[in-house]
Amino acid sequence: MQQKEAQKLWLIAPAALMVSLFFLYPLCFSLYSAVTLDGALTLSHLDKAFELYSKDMLFTVIIVLVSVMLLAILSISIAALITLSPFRSVVGILGFLYRLPLFIPFIVAAQMMRTFLAKNGLMNNAFVASGLMTPMDTISFLGWSGIIITFVWKQLAFSTLLISGAMAALDDAQIRAARNLGASRLRILFGIILPQIAPSLGVALVLSTVTMMSVLSVPMMIGTGTPTMISADMAFRVDSYGDYHVANALGLVSYLICAGLAWFYLRQSLKDKGATA
Amino acid sequence: MTRLHIDNLQVGYGNKRILNNISLTVEQGEMMALLGPSGCGKTTLLNALCGFLPIKQGDIFVGQRTISHLPAEKRNITMVFQSYALWPHMTVAQNIGYGLKVQKIKQKEIQTRVKALLDIVKLTGLEEEKVTALSGGQRQRVALARALAIRPDVLVLDEPLSNLDAKVRLAVRHEIKALQKQLGFTSLIVTHDQEEALVMADRVAILNQGNIEQVGTPEAIYHAPASAFVADFMGADNHLTWPIHPSMVGDSSVITISHTDVSQQRQCQIYFRSEDVSLSPRLTDDDKISGLMILGEVMHSAFLGHDYRISVRCGAHTFQANYQDNLPEATSVRLHVPAHALHIFDHPSEASNAPLSNAVSV
Ligand SMILES: Nc1ncnc2c1ncn2[C@@H]1O[C@H](COP(=O)(O)OP(=O)(O)OP(=O)(O)O)[C@@H](O)[C@H]1O
Ligand SMILES: [Mg+2]
Repeated sequence: MQQKEAQKLWLIAPAALMVSLFFLYPLCFSLYSAVTLDGALTLSHLDKAFELYSKDMLFTVIIVLVSVMLLAILSISIAALITLSPFRSVVGILGFLYRLPLFIPFIVAAQMMRTFLAKNGLMNNAFVASGLMTPMDTISFLGWSGIIITFVWKQLAFSTLLISGAMAALDDAQIRAARNLGASRLRILFGIILPQIAPSLGVALVLSTVTMMSVLSVPMMIGTGTPTMISADMAFRVDSYGDYHVANALGLVSYLICAGLAWFYLRQSLKDKGATA
Repeated sequence: MTRLHIDNLQVGYGNKRILNNISLTVEQGEMMALLGPSGCGKTTLLNALCGFLPIKQGDIFVGQRTISHLPAEKRNITMVFQSYALWPHMTVAQNIGYGLKVQKIKQKEIQTRVKALLDIVKLTGLEEEKVTALSGGQRQRVALARALAIRPDVLVLDEPLSNLDAKVRLAVRHEIKALQKQLGFTSLIVTHDQEEALVMADRVAILNQGNIEQVGTPEAIYHAPASAFVADFMGADNHLTWPIHPSMVGDSSVITISHTDVSQQRQCQIYFRSEDVSLSPRLTDDDKISGLMILGEVMHSAFLGHDYRISVRCGAHTFQANYQDNLPEATSVRLHVPAHALHIFDHPSEASNAPLSNAVSV
């Protein structure tokens, strides 16, 4: 028996080794580097990070929160349309269209949005050409709003996929039962569907948050410089100053922000479980 | 609760027609069973009634009012689903009270009505229970209470008992029936279990491939099936085609029939139930007996509890008969079926949709 256990350990050893070598070690090292200087513990890097970039941190949090909220509203709406709409053919087209951004990398999306949203970009040109605007009235969406638009556009496919999958997994009879008791579609969405797919919604939003925190191309290409997102600052620290300590301190901060959100989500879902069990 | 009238209804999926010209009336306070083999369109009919499926043609009336054009949420027809379809994130009381809440009835009133319903379906004290913590029979009763809570015009039930084990099924069957008598709701219950239909329903409608074959009281359906299909479906498991081709009869076996409706000239189908067969091991050949007489030998016998089901071979035919004793293989036996227990129909190749008569009266 003892020997069997040992054999099992050997089986997972390669995987465990890979994870610790290429994931845990760099992570710990960067955390270590964030709080030490020449081997001694110090908070100076974090101090400096806050001093220089606290505005950017706030900016990042706001951008991510707004994006996640828009994401939740839009992907729930699309998934609900797909699940509840009586117009099956429209639903088929929608079901195909919303998936497209899944296959487009962030950097391509950012490039697309840059040409689309700029002051003399595709969107404004179209408005001007159709006579809805004069060239004087056009405004550039590059900057914070562009970042949000790009994030939402890109992550929408992913979170809608998760959410509509969860909705499709519900027994159709549950929705029919509510309908013949007189409930409208909107009421069914909020009363019957959403409470049951909340865990999937949570997963979609937490994973999207982590993705947005880590994307570099979007703030670099669509952002206007200041304030910008933490990921851009980290790249800047490394590229321009070779300052790994502060970059790692910034990394620690964004890690803590994600961890905070994840904790909030876990606590919420545990609470729900406790209530239902 | 009101009368339900279905007039010339046609329903299909895409171009595929599932229901052809269904006309059916369920009287106020009546329980009608819709009986048919798998895939004949029972669920489709209920879905069309509830408004989950668009109808191609025809009309549905509840009372005097046509509801064909109304969306599902305005029809006031509720359904009890085969899978129960309870909402797992709600308690028993919340499930039952949902329809009332949708109707914006006051919380107080909802509570009293839910309490009353729980009493009726014998689930008192379980209102705060999660529905996931209930047994199958209890869930089915919650589903029933939920559907009855809004006092629908018509209640439809789609195989409500098929997910329950045999014993619970018997209990819930009687409970539903008793409840139906007590509250007097108009209802249409789908089943593919003929016994269930006979026990529960005031009238039975037999559906076959999207057509109604017969509508009538359980007694009429059982004793006087209007078509070969109905006879077969209602348990007339013995079947022979008359006149019998010589190649179908062996040397030692004899089939004779004396019946006013049967002659050598006319082709017909004869159906009868194994419980109507009287089997006797003595081979006294009595010519004066009326009805069907068969000589053959025992193939095997199966113990059914109350008696044995004996399979008797007669040439190329095999007949089933009930008998109180076990019989060894190859025993020679005589089967007799009285004339009134024979269901005789014209041969399908001659007249498929005009059955000769109801069961034969002699
Ligand atoms: N969503 C659907 N799309 C296309 N055809 C369908 C659909 N649902 C059912 N059908 C077809 O309609 C016919 C009737 O189906 P229905 O579900 O009404 O049968 P049923 O009488 O309820 O059978 P069962 O006793 O097995 O529940 C079947 O032949 C089936 O193939
Ligand atoms: Mg069915």
